[in-house]
Amino acid sequence: MTGGLQRVVSTLVLVGVSFCLTALILWISGYSVGEVFSGIIQGSVTATGAATSSIRWSIPLLLIGLGVVIGFRAGFFNIGGQGQFYVGACSALAVSLGWSGGPALLVVLCGTLAAIGAGTAWSLLPGYLRVRFGTDEVLTTLMMSFIGTLVLQYLTAGPMRNPSGTGQTAASERIPEGFRITDSSGVSPTVLVLVGGVAVLVWLLLERTRFGLAMTLVGRNPTMARWQGIDVRRVGLGAFALSGALAGLAGAVELYGPGARLVTGFSPEVGFTAVVVALVGLLSVWGTVVSAVFFGGLQSAILFLPIVTDLPPPALVLLHGMVAFLVTVRFRAIRLRPATSAEEALAD
Amino acid sequence: MTVPRGAASAGTAAVRCRSVGVSFGTVRALHSVSLDLAPARIHALVGQNGAGNTTLAKVLGGLQTPDAGDVHIAGRKLPPGDVRSARAAGLAMVHQHFSLPPSFTIAEALELTAARPEGRSVYRRAELHRRWHEDVADVGGTAALSTRIRDLPVETRQSLEIVRALTTEARILVLDEPTALLTPAAIEALFERLRRLRDDGITVLIVLHKLREVVAVADTVSVLREGELVLGPVEMSEATQGQISDAIVGPASGADRSIGVAAATGAEHPTLLELVRVSSRESAFEPGLRSVDLSVESGEIVGVAGVEGNGQRGLVSVIAGLGAAIEGSVLLGGSEATRSPPGRRRSRGLRLVPFDRNSEGISRSAPLWLNQSALRLIGRRRRRSPLISLRDYKRQATEALDHWQVRYNAVTQPAESLSGGNMQRLILARELAPGLEVLVAAQPTRGLDFSATSFVRRSLRGLRDAGAGVLLVSSDLDELFELSDRLLVMYGGQIVARLEAPFDRRAVGDAMTGASR
Repeated sequence: MTGGLQRVVSTLVLVGVSFCLTALILWISGYSVGEVFSGIIQGSVTATGAATSSIRWSIPLLLIGLGVVIGFRAGFFNIGGQGQFYVGACSALAVSLGWSGGPALLVVLCGTLAAIGAGTAWSLLPGYLRVRFGTDEVLTTLMMSFIGTLVLQYLTAGPMRNPSGTGQTAASERIPEGFRITDSSGVSPTVLVLVGGVAVLVWLLLERTRFGLAMTLVGRNPTMARWQGIDVRRVGLGAFALSGALAGLAGAVELYGPGARLVTGFSPEVGFTAVVVALVGLLSVWGTVVSAVFFGGLQSAILFLPIVTDLPPPALVLLHGMVAFLVTVRFRAIRLRPATSAEEALAD
Repeated sequence: MTVPRGAASAGTAAVRCRSVGVSFGTVRALHSVSLDLAPARIHALVGQNGAGNTTLAKVLGGLQTPDAGDVHIAGRKLPPGDVRSARAAGLAMVHQHFSLPPSFTIAEALELTAARPEGRSVYRRAELHRRWHEDVADVGGTAALSTRIRDLPVETRQSLEIVRALTTEARILVLDEPTALLTPAAIEALFERLRRLRDDGITVLIVLHKLREVVAVADTVSVLREGELVLGPVEMSEATQGQISDAIVGPASGADRSIGVAAATGAEHPTLLELVRVSSRESAFEPGLRSVDLSVESGEIVGVAGVEGNGQRGLVSVIAGLGAAIEGSVLLGGSEATRSPPGRRRSRGLRLVPFDRNSEGISRSAPLWLNQSALRLIGRRRRRSPLISLRDYKRQATEALDHWQVRYNAVTQPAESLSGGNMQRLILARELAPGLEVLVAAQPTRGLDFSATSFVRRSLRGLRDAGAGVLLVSSDLDELFELSDRLLVMYGGQIVARLEAPFDRRAVGDAMTGASR
């Protein structure tokens, strides 16, 4: 348990260091550090609607981040959450616009399932390439993510474009109000129950099922898992599928929640921030919940900050980057297997 | 060619080792090895796996720093563990596993390792080809210089390794098990080449495992056993094959013949594991199985002897279902299992003690209880709830670990915190649980100290007495003689000898080294 506590403390220290470094950069650049930090507090917690906004942004981070946790548990690094999120949202949109006259509950259910299916498919392709041919999933999930982004751009600028829209960015038509599960704040009891339920299910899957334990063994030592008779490919595909499914679900929640329509390039970094969320959350379910709320708050602050200071929003993305960098540097490979020299000698 | 031997040659020895000792932790790999190798001769170094052959070759090449003793080349003392000065002194190594980068062309690979760097760091392809044309033509290699290493057949790669070694203007060539991957024809070609090199005045030290090959190529032979030089170097003309194979396997240790008498006769002994004419594909390190027939009955331990790399890994992985049989069939408990995945075989009572504890036997970073519970994660189990009770898993793991006297603090500690002997106990605790029908134990006592070794051996015997079948793959002949009811000897992917207790060391040694063929 002390090892776990130590990891939590060291993560908190790293986040603290990131804040200090960011403050240093802001100070050198001539901004008032105090003003910026009070802006962050206001923007994430104290200002009107800030707390809601923080929760709203933490929801997609949490769902996609849990997917990353599942992938990592089985030893895979799914960083294509962004694309899986987009194709999920697009599929839900297609169902909702195509069947806009249907009964709301049924349409939303079908749309959500379509989103989960699309996210799963987007992740299973790299997953199959990985377990069948050993193709590096970091590359393939990233490339699939770019394709997903382009699919969204194509759909919102082409077939699904709202012809009456006059804005500079292309956007789809709005889905009927009756389909929505939140207002534009993005937070409602339905969504909170849904997301909380998903977190509990993921925790149960990872910690209290045989499949979850098998994933842990595969992730830590696939050779040993194979000798033990665990079907490593099946477990790997399962992890990829679940990982993509959660990102797809996040897309549906975004559409039926705060979005109501899809805009080209909406929430552009959420899929990648989610990877950092999972790492900061120490790849545990509850750690990821805490870290998602933290990064959700940061996202909310980024949007709020221009109101109180003259700081451009990218200056706070810097803080993001700093945390991501420091946490990644510290993150050790989970498959570390040093062979002792005696064994090497005996293996002659 | 006559070269003076013995004391007279001491001053002119091409290579001279003085009391070389190497230890890895508590394992003694070499102990006070003194050896003089006369120039312009082919010297064979033989011994079982783990006898210290490769370690000695590495010491000579400067890849391993000896704890004691020193190495002289052409009368000059080498600084210990320095590859560059060994190379500068004219000693080149050809390693057991190929060392040329597979994605390079032949010309590029040779340029990379050449000892005569000619000027510029930027090169033109045509220039490279001109430079290396002659060296490669030497090998009789018809391969174009622009061929990538990975596209070459094994024997050409092997010759290139030698070409590479010679480009360093070597006068002494050390080859570590160069024949392991070659076909008989390619081996003969290699030997012919070595003879020509010797006639050109080059000293060759070649590590071999097969007596037949020693006889075919060597001028002198030296034998290592358990890190000590037990024979030689003696002239091949003065050594008999029997003498050499005795030196390799060591003297009989009294206990051999008394134990291992077949179990009670007359009783019903169902066949638990059977291989019928099984063949498999060769791997990078081993020949494939060739038409292997084998059976293990209830209540017996069947030993598999052989120099490592003669198909033992292939055998175990075909039985485990990790490698495919391209021909023949595998039967578990009398019914067909050739196409069954590993998990199904384990559910049917097959248990395994893998070759390498650390990578195949346990998950080092996973907690003890999870390592212990791996068997509970496979197969279909109909339960009311899909959820499991961790408390139950941990309790069962605790019971098993305590029963097997594994020394640990908490079941949540990672498996890597255990000592080697305790790791093996952990594996036994998992594998030797109820449900076991047949156990395949691969090198179960390798690297273990005396008490852990005898614990493992006791466990295997207890298993046999309880009616299970055991297939014991080992390179420790004493262990095999002590435990086995029957003994099979593997050589080149085939079973070349089937022996019943009491065992004749000579016969086993001959079969292992291919001398009896």
